[in-house]
Amino acid sequence: MVEQVQNGPAKGRRTAARRRSDLANVLKVSVAALVVLGVAPFFLDIYTINILIRALLLAALALTVDLLWGYTGILTFGQSAFFGIGAYACALVFTHWGFGAGWAILALALGILTAMAVAALVGWLAFYHGASPLYGSIVTLALTIVVTQIIYAGGRTTGSSSGLSGFPTYYWPLETWFWIAGAFLVVVTALAWLFVHSDMGRVLVAIRENENRCAYLGIPVSRIKILLLVASGAIGAIAGFGYAAFTNVVAPELAGFLLGTELLIWVALGGRGTLIGPVIGAILIDVTSSYLSGSLPFYWKLLVGILFVVVIVALPQGLMPEVTKIWRRFVPGARRKAEAPKLEPAPARGVVHGKEQPLTVRGVHRHFGSLQVLQGIDFEAKEGELLSLVGPNGAGKTTLIRCLADGYERSGGDITIFGKDLGRWPPERCVALGIGRKFQTANVFATLTVGECLRVARYRMAPPSIWTSDTTLGLPEAALRIVEETGLAQSLDTEARHLAHGQKQALELAMVLALEPRIVLLDEPTAGLTRVERERIGAILTSLTERERLSILLVEHDLDFVREISSRVIVLHQGKILLDGSVEEVVDSELVREIYAGTALNLKGDGP
Amino acid sequence: MGVLLLDIVTTAAILFAVASGLMIILGVMKLINFAHGAFLTIGGYAAFATTQLGWNPWLAIPFAALVGFILGLIVERVIVRPLYARPLDAILATWGLGIIIGQVITIVFGRQVQFVQSPISGAIEFLGYSYSTYRLILVALAALLAVALTALFYFTRFGLNARAVIMNEDLARGLGIDSTRVRLITFGLGAALASMAGALITPLISVDPNLGLPWLINSFMLVLVSGISIPSLIVASLILGGAQVVVSTYVSAILGGLTIVVLAAVILRIRPQGLFSG
Amino acid sequence: MAKKLLGSWAGSLAVAAVLGLGGGASAAETIKIGVPVGLSGANSVVAPSVVQSGELAVAEINAAGGILGRQLEYIVADDGSGAQGAQKAFDSLVFQKKVDVLISMETSAARNAGLPIVNRGRVPFIYTSFYEGRSCSPWLYVNAWVPDQQVAPIVDHFMTTKDAKTFFLIGSDYAFGRGMLEFTADYIAEKGGKVLGDEYLPMDGTDWTPIISKLKSSGADALITSTAGGAPNVTLTKQLRAAGIDIPYGNLAVDEGTARNMGADAAGIYISASYITDIPSAENQAYLKNMKAHFGDKLKTPNDLSVPQYEGVYLYKLAVEKAGTTDPQAVIDALDDVSFQGPRGRIQMNKQRHAPLTMYLAQVQADGGIKLISTFKDVDPGEQCPNL
Repeated sequence: MVEQVQNGPAKGRRTAARRRSDLANVLKVSVAALVVLGVAPFFLDIYTINILIRALLLAALALTVDLLWGYTGILTFGQSAFFGIGAYACALVFTHWGFGAGWAILALALGILTAMAVAALVGWLAFYHGASPLYGSIVTLALTIVVTQIIYAGGRTTGSSSGLSGFPTYYWPLETWFWIAGAFLVVVTALAWLFVHSDMGRVLVAIRENENRCAYLGIPVSRIKILLLVASGAIGAIAGFGYAAFTNVVAPELAGFLLGTELLIWVALGGRGTLIGPVIGAILIDVTSSYLSGSLPFYWKLLVGILFVVVIVALPQGLMPEVTKIWRRFVPGARRKAEAPKLEPAPARGVVHGKEQPLTVRGVHRHFGSLQVLQGIDFEAKEGELLSLVGPNGAGKTTLIRCLADGYERSGGDITIFGKDLGRWPPERCVALGIGRKFQTANVFATLTVGECLRVARYRMAPPSIWTSDTTLGLPEAALRIVEETGLAQSLDTEARHLAHGQKQALELAMVLALEPRIVLLDEPTAGLTRVERERIGAILTSLTERERLSILLVEHDLDFVREISSRVIVLHQGKILLDGSVEEVVDSELVREIYAGTALNLKGDGP
Repeated sequence: MGVLLLDIVTTAAILFAVASGLMIILGVMKLINFAHGAFLTIGGYAAFATTQLGWNPWLAIPFAALVGFILGLIVERVIVRPLYARPLDAILATWGLGIIIGQVITIVFGRQVQFVQSPISGAIEFLGYSYSTYRLILVALAALLAVALTALFYFTRFGLNARAVIMNEDLARGLGIDSTRVRLITFGLGAALASMAGALITPLISVDPNLGLPWLINSFMLVLVSGISIPSLIVASLILGGAQVVVSTYVSAILGGLTIVVLAAVILRIRPQGLFSG
Repeated sequence: MAKKLLGSWAGSLAVAAVLGLGGGASAAETIKIGVPVGLSGANSVVAPSVVQSGELAVAEINAAGGILGRQLEYIVADDGSGAQGAQKAFDSLVFQKKVDVLISMETSAARNAGLPIVNRGRVPFIYTSFYEGRSCSPWLYVNAWVPDQQVAPIVDHFMTTKDAKTFFLIGSDYAFGRGMLEFTADYIAEKGGKVLGDEYLPMDGTDWTPIISKLKSSGADALITSTAGGAPNVTLTKQLRAAGIDIPYGNLAVDEGTARNMGADAAGIYISASYITDIPSAENQAYLKNMKAHFGDKLKTPNDLSVPQYEGVYLYKLAVEKAGTTDPQAVIDALDDVSFQGPRGRIQMNKQRHAPLTMYLAQVQADGGIKLISTFKDVDPGEQCPNL
């Protein structure tokens, strides 16, 4: 039994670590924004203030769309539903129950809680492991339709299509409403800014860039998405509540699919994944449409439609990055460069060796329809063993790796990890059992820096802060060695997409080792590497097995490399184990040579 | 009971006709065409033009298909092609395209409901029930459409290429299939089918700039549930359309309107690959 | 900073549909009439005729010297036929344009959304659209019909001349649809008839098949529908015709113009309205002649939703003249007392802010024309706003 005591030291390290946050800058900008908002009503006419109040609340809603879609990659049509829930909570309570401070708080709480509960339900439905991103979008889309139809069907209670209006509300002066809406937007934006620039914010981007890789890094992707949706739902409900309380009117369209798509248009035009872009986009477009839709209702919509298509096709990042580019050209030094964290060794975990067999595989098979890809796979891996899986293309090597790293994958059979049944655990739970998997093609987070990729990989061991970012990066020794020996240490502030191919491979390997796995699954880790790089990796792998007693399963085509580093070799052919033995027994066997020579074989899996 | 069955079969036929264009584009191009509703609208206006020109109302169907095909080719070339690698963005861009088409139609034809000559009206005796003639004809037309599409995909060169692209695009390209051309024609075909469906349902609905929107989401759900196959789309139309009719008849027509969306979301949660594959 | 820049930027972009029809009078002296109306959205079909009808009244009044010597300015704003658009339109008219009165035909959703702004801005609001009834505000007057006035002619006609005893009701699931049909069901019961079923489809629903099948199997003697205007109405009528329904069919939501657009499918439908173009009165003939002369080819057929707009402008004129001022409260007090002899007859909004109206029962002909069947004099709106 492996003792996993990582929590203690990790937490201790966390308090000692230095933290960096944008708090000071964010405060400065927020105060400036608040001052502008504070004096704005004295310079604006009543009409503009009126439409700005609504635009500010809708901008907060657009912000949540940016968090979900721009940062995390969840294309949502459904934020309008939460807005509608908040708005109707206000209208329904004030209309049917009562009005006053107590009722207002109750209505707000009711709106927020309902929105959060609905969000949790939607998230549970939409973000299960293996769900396609499209399915998530479908569920959010269905949500708006369901909520709207419920409102329609509500008869006199919800006012059906006419909505509710004229309920008692606070007839404060317009300035007061403007300040409330403005302060709300500033606070939400500031918090969102801190959040997306924190270490947790990087995890969101990692999910957007490569959800699968995240799952195999032990990151609970589904839970993070659900929590984010719940938080976004709560913000949306508050905005909706404010909207209803100010305008004194609610109507089904507030929860509708069309508002949901309009939010996407604002975010896309403003610039997804920039926070400020969507906020400005929402305010500008909403205000302009208020002025223009009276005179040019059809041409205005046509113009927005054309602009939207052009931006999606030609400028997928929206207009904000273009503005930023111009800003940077004229303001030298405005470029914010990602700071490289300081590397340090992570404290070693106390691991008790040798009590349980790391990996036992019994009768595993996998079929796709009638096609048997794996059958009757039986083997085990011991501590400190470097076990190579070889075989021709289509032999089932990668499928076997998949079955070991994701409990859903196999069609049948048992896999036991340190005495624990793998069951039907999703990849993030398999990681918790001690499995780390490297993919065949380099699988890193393109827009994150090397340092950020590594930090994301440390999610389980050093839970990221949701408000700040750490200035140091603790890595276990093996990962540290790879980072240092492959030159990645000098590129910590480089975005992963700019790395050379070999460095990407090394980075992914370092990320897997940063998980501190007990069993490492490597699918052609040295493909495309130079000879020198390959030898270096080989040396590291060997030392991992020898010094840290890891079990490594290696899929490899290069028999020379296999011969150099393996302690045992398994030959797969047509989904069955053909041979299982020492390097000498296997690599030099006639059988293996024949397979690799492409000779047709029809042997049953009865190895020596 | 007999009427219920007729309602189910005719509803399924309409759903099948409306969704087929979306399915073909999704199958070959792995792309959700959110302008599908707008192409249905175009079909409705093609039928309107047919009436205005004084042509036989049946001519609306081929005419709508032709208009849809040509527009589809242009749209593929200008908007869809740059987005192959970004399927979620393609949803948004085609949604934007739908807005553009809707507004152009509004500016050209106005917002009002247009009068379109129906090719046939009234009811006939069928299996002992008096039933809408046109809905019964729609069943025959939908069946014809299913046969024609099957023939297209299984007995033509284009169909072979398209099936190859559906199965494995990289491999297809490796085999010398011009997948860009396959995509172009597919989008044209999908748009033509949508437009034709718009003309087909015109005798039952109002022709106005929003004609297609209510159909978009149901078609979308149907296609995802059915997966990429003509027989399974027929079955999915029968199941989901049937559920809609049953709920509308025995529970409430309001809930009936939600049936397809909710049922599809639940089915996809249980079977992400759709009802029939995997 | 950004916010402030934004404000001035938006201000400089401010363009509004200002249709100044008065000649020569300076802006400071004009009386501004705000018209929030659904140029886009569900009401966009009928809105242009409403705008025209009011324009004629304004042109006539201005040509005759205006009100209290002041010219009228007619300001139209699109409300998008819905709540959100209406808020923008009302805000713009009340707070930006600072209109003296609002006179408009709108959806119930738009009216409800606008009322709080009207209350806040203290502007008289003459609502010129028929609606489901019982909308009350100190600032609101209505000169079009409510269910109490419209339903009786159709039901009575079906029961007496068509010998109908059982009815089936179909509607769109929204306030107007449900409100109308609930009233109809009560009225039928009161008259000793029987409602065999009432079915609703959501506003954006397109498939009426199961409902039509139920209607057929119910064996009802007559059908009364109340859908949302435009698409749902056309969709339902087409599908009814396609299903071969030929029992007496009263449609509470169709107007003359829509009936014409539906062509042969609309033939035989009974409608009940406070205005049809065939009204033989001298006022109506003069109105139609002047509309034709003023708008020529661009004329939109006047209808039950557009004519009250014309009368609404005149009622406001009379109220201001009686009050001797445009002061909102004085005008509101005076509106109760004035009456106008218009195309629909004599209109006075003295029944709890609503007006007794002469109702016409008519039937759509195969050529899209309307045949007058009978007339019901001065039908009372009943209890609408007992607290005002």
